[in-house]
Amino acid sequence: MIELLPLLMFLAVCLVILLGYPVAFSLAGTALIFAAFGSAIGHFDMAFLEALPNRLYGTMVNQTLIAIPLFIMMGIMLEKSKLAEDLLNNMAQLFGRVRGGLGISVVVVGMLLAASTGIVGATVVTMGLMSLPTMLKRGYDPAFASGIICATGTLGQIIPPSIALVLLGDILSTAYAQAQLDMGIFTPKTVSVGDLFMGAVIPGLLLVVFYCSYILIHSYLKPESAPARREEKPVSAAALLFSLLPPVLLMVAVLGSILSGVATPTEAAGVGALGAIFLALSRRQLSRQRMREVLEGTVEVTAMVFMILIGAAIFSLVFRGFGGEELVTSMFTSIPGGAIGATLVVMLTIFLLGFILDFIEITFVVVPIVGPTLLAMGVDPIWLGIMIAVNLQTSFLTPPFGFALFYLRGVAPKEVLTSDIYRGVFPFIGIQLGLLILLSLWPSLATWLPEQLR
Amino acid sequence: MARIPISINQLTECCGRLTAWATLAMMICTGLIVVARYILGSGSIALQESIIYLHAFSFMLGTAFTLKRGAHVRVDIFYRHFSARTRAMVDTFGALFFLLPTCAVIFWLSFDYVASSWAIAETSSESSGLPWVYLLKTLLLLMPSLLLLQGMAELTQAISILRRMPTVSATPTE
Repeated sequence: MIELLPLLMFLAVCLVILLGYPVAFSLAGTALIFAAFGSAIGHFDMAFLEALPNRLYGTMVNQTLIAIPLFIMMGIMLEKSKLAEDLLNNMAQLFGRVRGGLGISVVVVGMLLAASTGIVGATVVTMGLMSLPTMLKRGYDPAFASGIICATGTLGQIIPPSIALVLLGDILSTAYAQAQLDMGIFTPKTVSVGDLFMGAVIPGLLLVVFYCSYILIHSYLKPESAPARREEKPVSAAALLFSLLPPVLLMVAVLGSILSGVATPTEAAGVGALGAIFLALSRRQLSRQRMREVLEGTVEVTAMVFMILIGAAIFSLVFRGFGGEELVTSMFTSIPGGAIGATLVVMLTIFLLGFILDFIEITFVVVPIVGPTLLAMGVDPIWLGIMIAVNLQTSFLTPPFGFALFYLRGVAPKEVLTSDIYRGVFPFIGIQLGLLILLSLWPSLATWLPEQLR
Repeated sequence: MARIPISINQLTECCGRLTAWATLAMMICTGLIVVARYILGSGSIALQESIIYLHAFSFMLGTAFTLKRGAHVRVDIFYRHFSARTRAMVDTFGALFFLLPTCAVIFWLSFDYVASSWAIAETSSESSGLPWVYLLKTLLLLMPSLLLLQGMAELTQAISILRRMPTVSATPTE
């Protein structure tokens, strides 16, 4: 019974988190209560916790994680400079005459701008406030419209440079090194954030293509659900170019410099944030007040992310102190089907955890526990990272607990029923599952590009 | 006594503003590094390390500010439907059993670690790096201290809500 204590602790945390107290402190606090209890009954050695300051210091001086606040700053700056709104208006005017054109504009704008924030809530709320009223006004079916917005909001997880991939890349690189060390390989291969970005390019673009095809097919079969506007004023090519080109160039520059290996993710993020500031300045959208809002927003999101990292560090030290790692390894080796069976179980677990935990918590809590074991069983780290990202994206879309649905419910007008939102996302869940199956059958969808560019 | 939470809030806001500008400085330094590396063809370890210092400074001291602004992420599937009183109960419980103990433990565990760094006035392992590693490590004590203070301010606020709404039946649900 005592050896199941780490699992019990995990379940307890899941329950405690549902109370609604901030996740970072719930994680740390519950773990500490278990540690105190365990040490009282003689099953936990407090010495395990003494590694904490060194771990936290390691986080403070981690070079990769510096990219996080810079990407966040870039995302918030792009959002606050109203660039997305202009872009959406212009694209909607250009494509508004095509059936489903507005829907496709939402997906494209979401793809360009969601990428840099990568936090589901923020993206869904922004896209929901920006595009849902317009779509409803133009006679879009509420279910269809909310499905598009929820799905687009989760794209930020997978389209690089998402901060979700930065975090996942950092954790996976540690896990990969540890797995190889455990196997006795002393000149280990490495995996970096850049590798994960490259791996995400093809699956991410595939998703966008699938989404757009679905929107076109749906609006062709049911024209009344996505009416085209005949009387649309043609938008001048110059206006579209002026609004589309700068953000696209910025994204291409940031991504291109990382993918080609010219710059590290941190350098690219810094230049990207600088670029976003110049964009906002050139559009006369940057006052001292707005600058302060952007910077304070950056601190809030960054500190939130890192506090979860700290909470998760405490949790995983206690988990390890209770022998949790051995427990997970022995569970994995007893699952029939070897690496495939174990991966399947992990994917299912992550999918379910996605109902109550955000990307950040899962990356910091679950991946360090299961990652080394899975990787030691021969699973490719890039493929694993992309699978986790797409899997979580699906989880966030799945009723009744999906995060994206909650956030859209929060900003959607009353006439959009919750059942509309549920109905609208189902086709997109189908698309997500389709991609997961494609990735399982052809892992090279994720691993081919990184190999070519290496 | 009633003024203590107010001064804590002011201190936290002040730290928040400092850290906000630190993120801007971080971005500018990163820009400088890129210029130095790709245009001038030289790198500076001191500049590289100052970005690390600014980054650590901003998220370690920003966390109390984030607590004050209510930006630490909650799983609010149920929380959002709770009455103000129930929310205050969750916040009181969380502060007492999760937040405050966590701060205390981080402080207590880090104390010797930081003290031994001060004892040797620890510097960077790189010869041209910054000589203030002991100051950087002190953030491990400052972070839990500030968070503890702000946590107590939040606790006082939650308790005062509970006092104002003594019975469940008197609480209008949303």
